[in-house]
Amino acid sequence: MNAFAIAGSSFVREHLRTPLTLLLLIAIPALFVLASAAVLGDFARALGGTVAGQAATALGAGWAAAFLAGVLGFFQVASSREADRRLSLAGLGPTRVAAARISAALVLGLVVSAAAFLSLLLRTGVEHPAHAAVAIFAFAAIYIGIGAIVGSLVSDPLEGSILVAFVFMFDVFSGPAMTSGGGLTAVMPTRKAADLLIAAGAGQSSPLGDWFWVALIAAISMSVAFTSFWAASRSRGGP
Amino acid sequence: MRAEDVVKSFHRGVPPFRRTIPVLKGASLEVHAGELVGLVGENGSGKSTLMQIVVGLLQRDGGTVDRPGRLGYCPQVPMVWEKLTVDEHFELFSRAYALEKDLGAKAADDLLDELEFAKYRAYRVEDLSGGTRQKLNLALALMHDPELLLLDEPYAGFDWETYVRFWEMSERRRDAGMGILIVSHLLAERERLDRLYELSDGRTLAE
Repeated sequence: MNAFAIAGSSFVREHLRTPLTLLLLIAIPALFVLASAAVLGDFARALGGTVAGQAATALGAGWAAAFLAGVLGFFQVASSREADRRLSLAGLGPTRVAAARISAALVLGLVVSAAAFLSLLLRTGVEHPAHAAVAIFAFAAIYIGIGAIVGSLVSDPLEGSILVAFVFMFDVFSGPAMTSGGGLTAVMPTRKAADLLIAAGAGQSSPLGDWFWVALIAAISMSVAFTSFWAASRSRGGP
Repeated sequence: MRAEDVVKSFHRGVPPFRRTIPVLKGASLEVHAGELVGLVGENGSGKSTLMQIVVGLLQRDGGTVDRPGRLGYCPQVPMVWEKLTVDEHFELFSRAYALEKDLGAKAADDLLDELEFAKYRAYRVEDLSGGTRQKLNLALALMHDPELLLLDEPYAGFDWETYVRFWEMSERRRDAGMGILIVSHLLAERERLDRLYELSDGRTLAE
């Protein structure tokens, strides 16, 4: 294996060796998909939205993947900043460290998406499983970027986790079909991914334009994450 | 390695309440091949800041730094991953230093023996004592046989035997041609040093 592959696999192991991460991998999808879909529908009605039933359950899987990916993305940057910087200085360089970090984040994103998708399958089944799987992974990819940028701005684990949770809560309760629309809901990053997931949950196909937008937003999010990882592992101006 | 008139300030807060804290006001030092040099100073005098600037971890506001390409850095606080094992650290750094696989494995084996912590090679860092973490921290800086070795409070947490072994290791490497800079707030072994600098009020004084 080359240096990049060894670094990437080490970064994945680093996170999967945390017992709390493994517990959350089971607990969060179970909570969002198996338990809270009905509650999500009640909230939507209260906020003037329409999501309910299978669409709400499917949306729960997306939110589960998003939350886990966001928190893991945050800790990818915040928890090992100093060690990553030392590895970069030793000769790996910030670009290869960032590439290894983003590879690890994507592998972890795939794992959390698979856990959320599996919960969805167990709960209700999905009429468009491939569409749902891609949409759930898009939620994870978008939140890797959000978590990483929070990690580059905030180093304290508690403050960073709260900030990721705040963005997440705002995103959840301003998403499509959760509100009557308007305001910031049109610009929230997961809006199109939520449209895809709601359609897949209800057994409907989505227009090609929605897939394009989701791919574009996920690509932008990956670029943001890469830049955050790169900035965290290069020399800095001050402590 | 030569650092000349290094200047560094840190900024705190946001405008208009921003404060500027000058730390280094023209610090200079030199370390030549085959020299063991010390840098002392009070807590908060800027020793670690100067070290990080010399290494390239921190950007300076002014001055110049010339350093060799192959340098080893042992930070004051071990910069390691809590969930990875000692062996995994050696493997990662071996690749980062671009060592051949066999050479990297031999360097790791030699350092594990020299610092006497081979029995911990399969342990995760989170399960190591402070002294053993520091041994790993030091070993990672040494495994590629650097031309210049920069050690920031390297023996914090060492027991007496390891402390004595550390100085013997440093002298052996110095005699083999390695340039070594040791930063500490307390250097009791001054007779072992070839030169000593004191950092005070942001400037270095050669003793």
